[in-house]
Amino acid sequence: MSTESRNPLSKIQEMENSRIGLYAVLLFGLVFYLFPVETAVMTMFKTQQSFIETVPFAPPSADGFTLEALTTAWNTLRPGLINSMIMAIPATILSALFGSLTAYGLTTISWRGQVGVVVFIIAGIFIPYQAVLVPLAQFWYQILPDLLNGFVNTVFGFATGGNWTYPIRNGYLQLFQLSVTHAAYGIPICTLLFRSYYQSISDEMIEAARLDGATAFSIYKNIILPLSLPMFAVTLIYQFTQVYNDLLFALVLVNEPSSQVATQRLAALTGGVVQSFNTTMAGAIVAALPTLLVYIVFGEQFAKGVAGET
Amino acid sequence: MAQLTLDDVTKIFHDDDEGEIVAVDEVSVDIEDGEFLCVVGPSGCGKSTTLRMIAGLEDISSGEIRLGGEIINDQPPAQRDVAMVFQSYALYPHMTVRENMAFGLEQSTDMSDEQIAQQVEEATDLLGIDDLIDRKPGELSGGQQQRVALGRAIVRDPEVFLMDEPLANLDAKLRAEMRTELQHLQERLGVTTVYVTHDQTEAMTMSDRIAILNDGKLQQAATPLECYHEPNNMFVAGFIGEPSMNFFDVDRRGSTLVADDFEYDLSEETARELGDRTDLTLGIRPEDIELVEGGSGAHDYAGVVDVVEPRGSENTVHMTFDASDSANFVATVDGMRDVEWGEHVTVRFPEEAIHVFDSATGEAVRNRELDSVEKVEPIV
Repeated sequence: MSTESRNPLSKIQEMENSRIGLYAVLLFGLVFYLFPVETAVMTMFKTQQSFIETVPFAPPSADGFTLEALTTAWNTLRPGLINSMIMAIPATILSALFGSLTAYGLTTISWRGQVGVVVFIIAGIFIPYQAVLVPLAQFWYQILPDLLNGFVNTVFGFATGGNWTYPIRNGYLQLFQLSVTHAAYGIPICTLLFRSYYQSISDEMIEAARLDGATAFSIYKNIILPLSLPMFAVTLIYQFTQVYNDLLFALVLVNEPSSQVATQRLAALTGGVVQSFNTTMAGAIVAALPTLLVYIVFGEQFAKGVAGET
Repeated sequence: MAQLTLDDVTKIFHDDDEGEIVAVDEVSVDIEDGEFLCVVGPSGCGKSTTLRMIAGLEDISSGEIRLGGEIINDQPPAQRDVAMVFQSYALYPHMTVRENMAFGLEQSTDMSDEQIAQQVEEATDLLGIDDLIDRKPGELSGGQQQRVALGRAIVRDPEVFLMDEPLANLDAKLRAEMRTELQHLQERLGVTTVYVTHDQTEAMTMSDRIAILNDGKLQQAATPLECYHEPNNMFVAGFIGEPSMNFFDVDRRGSTLVADDFEYDLSEETARELGDRTDLTLGIRPEDIELVEGGSGAHDYAGVVDVVEPRGSENTVHMTFDASDSANFVATVDGMRDVEWGEHVTVRFPEEAIHVFDSATGEAVRNRELDSVEKVEPIV
């Protein structure tokens, strides 16, 4: 068949069945995933009246179009978005970094009792959030402040006069506490991800580096770390999404209104008596933007990491 | 002086299922300054473990390793002044050739960047890879990666090179080229080298001396020709040489060796060498077996050609004795000689070429006479 006479139909005829099947599945997947998003986007530009009158996925009519919902959502969520970033970015980076270091120590360096530590860490993945809520709140609101109050007033008593108190109600401190909590909670899963990745790294290469005179930390810095960039993308995306989307820990640990994170603000936005779908949808889209951005930025590395490329 | 000495070196692995596994069993060998020693043996004989102990990548269970007279048992790998080339090359994939080669110098010395750059350049010139210096290992062919791996060892200017089957991943032609090149390089640099391989051709062609290991035990450490002509035992005799030596179980009756298919009369002198041992194994190399025309001498036997493998310069002939279910043996004849399947021939086992081993211990009781072969190098 000559190339000039090609039309879409003949192309399809030439295709193998498996390829047609693949495209069909992909098309289905595309529609399946994007249809709700399209509905949400359409809804957020509609007035309440227009929403009632039209089907959810149809675009708004000229007089049914409004930016009011989006503006409301944006104004409500904006402080929350910033707080979420302040909290989620360090938490994500710390989890990934500690996970990577822990995994390195548990694979490439051999020492007694490794297996026990691995089991212990993996068990950490399966602790449900709900199970730690009470001890977590007690730790941040009672145990730690008591300890610090005692410590500071004893050691630096000459300066504080024994009156120093841990600023429990400081909004940024609450964000910091939430961040640390998420970082700690993320270490087990990050360790597991990095560990399986490091197990595929050639032992001979590490031995070569040892013979080259590199110390354990130097091997990590010069060889393991540069090679784990794809895995960092995976853990960063995964961990960021987890931390950013969490509402439970935020509800327990952050109670200063000025420090509320995006998920808390979103809950407030949609929690009104009258259900206004357009602001709800606008809020959902705005709140989802950061995670979308993270996926776009690290997408390529993510694919490499998932495919196990080194 | 970088003389490397292994003194009763033993490695015992502890396995949960099988208990203790002795991987290397009291191996002692002296490697002179500038010597090229090949360690050969079948898979799992402990040769790689031995090398890894020298490198410091494995603990030594007992015994001593000395480098230049100093015990290095407890020194970490980096302080031993050895460089190792791995079978997988073990290059750092994210670094360029230059960075790969400079890494060791950066980590283990206080050299300035210029000194390092200069040393890397010298090494790449030596290996003919100066045009690859800014590429990454992924962009190089197997042979080029091999050179970079060598370069990484050379650039450190170590007291000892350790090579763990460095040519095993190359194709046959390139392997032969690299063999010659490695030899040149080692002679030029004069660095003591321990080279592990399972390929006896590599061992024969490259080394000053061969150390043959089996089951963790050192069988023989000698020059290639000594190992070939004067093997210590049946294992060495069978391992060195391609095709392998033919072995026949024999019983000695007086001055006659009686096998299932033939009887071999010994001269008085040979018989005396055997002492009063009776349970013996007769060994003869394929190239020592002669195909003669209608001979009827004392050591001539009727044989039938089974399979002929032409190799161009020579033919490898698999034969049986002229009897049903007789033992197989292999002879090597000139490539121009026309031998065909089913042909009845007369084979001669010349007495000066036969080896006799004690069947129980495998020890060589009598090796071939060396008057008829070229002078063997003196033991280093």
